Amino acid sequence: MPRITIDGRPIEVEKGVTLLEAAQRLGVHIPRYCYHPKLSVSGNCRMCLVEIEKAPKLVTACSTEAADGMAVLTMSEKVKTARRDVLEFLLINHPLDCPVCDQAGECGLQDYYMEHSLAKSRFPAEDKVRRQKRRVLGPHLVLDNERCILCTRCVRFCSEVTRTSELEVMERADHSFIDLKEGRALDNGYSLNIADICPVGAWTSRDFRFKQRVWFLKKTPTVCLGCATGCLTEVHHNENTIYRVVPRPNAETNTWLCDAGRMTYKAVQAGDRLAKGVIKNGLIDLEPALRETASRIDEAHGALAVLGSPWLSVEDNAALARLAKDALKTADFSFDFSAEQGVKDGILINKDPAPNAAGARRVQAAFGGTSFAELSAKVASGAVKVLVTEARAAALLKDALKAGGARLIVFAANRSEIPAGAYATLPYASYFETPGTFINFQGLERRTQPAVTAAEGVKPLWAMVNKLAVYSGTSLRLESAQDALKGIDLK
Amino acid sequence: MENILLKDKVASLEGYFAAGGYRALKKALAMKPADVTAEVKASGLRGRGGAGFPAGLKWSFIPKDAQGPRYLVCNADEGEPGTFKDRELLLRNPHALIEGMVIAGWAIGAQTGYIYIRGEFAAEARLLERELFAARAKGFVGRNVLGSGFDFELFVHRGAGAYICGEETALLESLEGFKGQPRLKPPFPAVKGLFGAPTVINNVETLAAVPAIIDKGGAWYASMGTPKSAGTKLFCVSGPVNKPGVYELPLGVPFRELLEKHCGGMKEGKKLKAVLPGGSSTPVLTAAEAMAVALDYEALAAAGSMLGSGAVIIIDESQCMVKLLQVLARFYHHESCGQCTPCREGCGWIEKLLNRLEAGKGSGRDIDTLYSAADAMLGRTICPLADAMAMPAMSFVKKFRGEFEAHAAGKCCGPDGGAR
Repeated sequence: MPRITIDGRPIEVEKGVTLLEAAQRLGVHIPRYCYHPKLSVSGNCRMCLVEIEKAPKLVTACSTEAADGMAVLTMSEKVKTARRDVLEFLLINHPLDCPVCDQAGECGLQDYYMEHSLAKSRFPAEDKVRRQKRRVLGPHLVLDNERCILCTRCVRFCSEVTRTSELEVMERADHSFIDLKEGRALDNGYSLNIADICPVGAWTSRDFRFKQRVWFLKKTPTVCLGCATGCLTEVHHNENTIYRVVPRPNAETNTWLCDAGRMTYKAVQAGDRLAKGVIKNGLIDLEPALRETASRIDEAHGALAVLGSPWLSVEDNAALARLAKDALKTADFSFDFSAEQGVKDGILINKDPAPNAAGARRVQAAFGGTSFAELSAKVASGAVKVLVTEARAAALLKDALKAGGARLIVFAANRSEIPAGAYATLPYASYFETPGTFINFQGLERRTQPAVTAAEGVKPLWAMVNKLAVYSGTSLRLESAQDALKGIDLK
Repeated sequence: MENILLKDKVASLEGYFAAGGYRALKKALAMKPADVTAEVKASGLRGRGGAGFPAGLKWSFIPKDAQGPRYLVCNADEGEPGTFKDRELLLRNPHALIEGMVIAGWAIGAQTGYIYIRGEFAAEARLLERELFAARAKGFVGRNVLGSGFDFELFVHRGAGAYICGEETALLESLEGFKGQPRLKPPFPAVKGLFGAPTVINNVETLAAVPAIIDKGGAWYASMGTPKSAGTKLFCVSGPVNKPGVYELPLGVPFRELLEKHCGGMKEGKKLKAVLPGGSSTPVLTAAEAMAVALDYEALAAAGSMLGSGAVIIIDESQCMVKLLQVLARFYHHESCGQCTPCREGCGWIEKLLNRLEAGKGSGRDIDTLYSAADAMLGRTICPLADAMAMPAMSFVKKFRGEFEAHAAGKCCGPDGGAR
């Protein structure tokens, strides 16, 4: 294994490890634009030039493999000069429109200029190369070719990650620019990653741009619930409004995040977000809605069933299980969801669109209950008069409900989720607003963290269950999410 | 001395054969491939495309245990401004290249060779195809070369007009059907070249010298030229001399001899001011420096320039150095592939500075900026195109600063391009 020194500090690395990676292990950050750990090495930006003692020329740290005995200098005068020079070259044709650029605040050019250059411009503005600006490419992105530093991360992302190869560098020299290949559209399901990996303001998100200056954003680490993959994410929000969701790269599950997953936050602040109850088709205040629902539940004593949901957290499923078993004393409940799981596109998107089938099954294991098929048959037979479940899970019993004619009581976060023919709908706090435990397709436990707070009166689902239990005259009391979890083995 | 490359009456297969052509191929096929390489090593033959890397050594870099195909590629993308030797060689002695390639293919274990020829050389490409056809018909190329059991197929591939494709890895990209942009090295082509297979890339002139080396021996070839710069070299002389053209001379020939004896001296009334000794991308020499230098790899390096492709560009006193450098900068700006930051942005910057200076709108500060921008490009890129811009730019400013300052002071050149 090669032993090298970086700025005098020794390190031993495996064969094939580059100087940039070796430096990273020592906590030395070598500036870079074109290098990305998950993309091929292109070596074009020349920002990561470092000095190797006794070597005639500077070398790119991103492409040079460590060889035994190398003495690498990352802060020598030669290296510092090279960085300043590369930055000057990058900036001569850059429009310097930071005040109106969405990338400002998280821009590689700004950051490295402050850190490595601070030089005055020697290039007259009228000589700058003009390129196409504000070009809408695909449903999610806008391209400003004047800001582009031609690092080709976007081109490589499309050819290596999504394998769709829509993008290409056209032309040559300082008149080269990024463009779509003829007849193509930039809509590969992962296109917003391009806005993330673009080190400058060339690619910006149509959804996010001009909504918020990035330095105002607060960041909450959480989990994407768009499918069973359970990608780790970071929600960026300010003053109780979510502005964007970006991936939190990790070794287990994801480096990237799909476009659909990034858009899941939209439902939280959508116009059809429920803060009140719905009885039949009419919105009514939460308290009367709860009482009405509770009386229907009470009425149906002995002919009541509860279906959990793979879209709900383990805590909320457990609350439903306890409602059925401990409060309503029925055996007709099921948390048995067995959709086929696995990444279906070779990147991230899962065959199972629900995030928590595995978590629901743990609830089933802890509380017992019937199989999904048995419950479905019972509902279809008409023996069930009232079914309590979550809106999207209700769709799984659509045919059985039609056949059996049971009254449907659902929990829904948005009005658009309410299934046709639901008798009563109760709102609950989404997992952007309340913590929850999920188990992804790999069996990994994922916890959501609230980034924003729910509208007044909208409570986590377990708390709504608690109220239902109280109003229907049962003895079940849930003081916290932890109460619901009693007796559940998450492992 | 008898010419090795530029000979008369060898343009056709009959003529070439009558002059002893393809004798070396027969000899080589009876030798072990490693011995052929050893002979080329012994000859001291160095790459004639510009870098001057020892040819035999380059061949020996092909990994011995490499499985699968290997390729031999001839770089005939002669694009360096001022260079017109390979074209002349192809027209006058195409079979030396063909024979040299079959021998080289045998030496490195390649069964396929490509001649990547500059796109503009349409007639030359047709000529090569015709001569290849003739050579194939005689069994010098193709299946079972001369009954030896060795298969070697040779293809002519025309480039699409980019200067950068003369850089060997950009050439490979282009040959594979991609945009011509240089690759990161390592891996070098000898390990991972065309289609990912071990590949040797040599210039036309290098490969064309191989038959003579095999025929008469490496020691014979090494006896010409200087100890470190062996053999003969084609010098293509352009500019206001009485007899511009391509001359085959032993390496180490004094520039003075090339100019006065072979080229018949400067044209009447013209006075030598400067020389670009190895093509437009090499540092310029003043008249005094040029008249004292010998034309070989070492002597030119010692004089602060390079032998390059052997394109000797003569500049006389009536030429304006600012204008000349502007022309060069326009070329390199146009031809930079745009991959590496310093070259992509720097070439354009330098051209713009020169446009301003040449138009009399520049300042003394622009001259310093020009020099430092060129300096910032030097040695910082994947391929040497940035150096090819930076080296003449820096040497022009260093050696002819007075002319730049005159321009900065508003004393511009007239339409005849003469310095004021």
